[in-house]
Amino acid sequence: MSINSNSHVPIFRQIAEHIRTGISAGIYQPDEMLPSLRALALELVVNPNTIQRAYEELEREGLVYSRRGLGLFVARQAVRSARSQSQDDVEKAFADGIRLARSAGLPDDEIRHVFSKSLARKMDKTGGKS
Amino acid sequence: MIEPTAEPAVEARGLTKRFGSKLAVGGLDLRIEKGTVFGFIGPNGAGKSTTIRMLMGLLPMNGGDATVMGIDVRQRPEAVRRCVGYVPEQHLIYRWMRVKEVLWFCRQLHEAWNESLARELCQQFELSGQTKVRHLSKGMLAKLALIIALAPEPELLILDEPMAGLDPIIREEFLETVLQSFCRGGRTIFFSTHMLGDIQRLADSVGIIHDGRLLVHGSVADLLSRTKRVRLALERDELPAELPQGVIRTWRNRRECVLTITDCDSQKVQHLEDAAQVRVVEVLDVGLEDIFKDYIKGQREAI
Repeated sequence: MSINSNSHVPIFRQIAEHIRTGISAGIYQPDEMLPSLRALALELVVNPNTIQRAYEELEREGLVYSRRGLGLFVARQAVRSARSQSQDDVEKAFADGIRLARSAGLPDDEIRHVFSKSLARKMDKTGGKS
Repeated sequence: MIEPTAEPAVEARGLTKRFGSKLAVGGLDLRIEKGTVFGFIGPNGAGKSTTIRMLMGLLPMNGGDATVMGIDVRQRPEAVRRCVGYVPEQHLIYRWMRVKEVLWFCRQLHEAWNESLARELCQQFELSGQTKVRHLSKGMLAKLALIIALAPEPELLILDEPMAGLDPIIREEFLETVLQSFCRGGRTIFFSTHMLGDIQRLADSVGIIHDGRLLVHGSVADLLSRTKRVRLALERDELPAELPQGVIRTWRNRRECVLTITDCDSQKVQHLEDAAQVRVVEVLDVGLEDIFKDYIKGQREAI
């Protein structure tokens, strides 16, 4: 996991998003424990309060649950919710891209062309659908 | 999460300092909750070090009052200095001594001193006890100053631009050590810096100071999510008669105008969209560095 400390996205959001995509990609499996606040804080060199805020957001979304004294675990139904959450994030990212394209004066046909080109390239790297 | 406690780690009301006719700090209010990290940023000469030195009781204040860990700074400055770990901008360490002599000397000055922690940190930093202080590099000197501040295991750690002029590797080591000590729990950290990335990583809350006044004081995440740049394409070279509250900077070029707005919400955006003078409104996210610059430039341009 890498953090961009110059981004306009608060770090707790970046961490939450990273774990969300990790859950939808199967990196974190149901009933597996997330790293402790302290361990992740030291690994990423960020404030543990920030990690806690990220974890609280994931808990609110029902992606993780806490076991008293143990830590946070990935919920069973998490994969589906994480995907729909990730879909929202993807939509936002596309909206940014489309805004950029339009302000540069690209017509919709060309935007579609750029999109298909990017999609094709991504397929090569990841081996297609996951 | 962080519960506001009855007693904050640092509280200042109307803190004021004059140097001759120059107002260095003018009526500064500050509140830092226990168990949080506070990042203090501002241009050179804004009053950061002066504020810190007043809080440490090293510089008498001309007005206002302050408590640090519940201790009244005016009345018991020496008690404040005993319970706070402080890494000043200029490390005043006895240059003729060897590292182990400095550590021995500091140990005598403190009631509480965790010798095994001091040794552990020396080892981690590869700092040899035999080396003379005047032969230490800038980075090693900063690390020694950090060890001296951490060994008494203070509840509050104040760092005044501790990483200025250090290379990225040493900065990272320094930061990790500060974070490790924070993770041990119950500690509050107050640091001033020019590194906005470090603020993003470490700080719960941030204060921006300019000309001795605090322009903003709040959570880093809130500042990032609520400050926006709003780009307006204007009909003519003319701004709306009424701009929303909280414009911190206005930038203009012909029929384009960019407003940086704090606490920007849909109502404020709608208000601009409705204005007859405005053709297109675009809302842009802003990083901490640009937020900082816009606050400072906005102040300077307003004069």
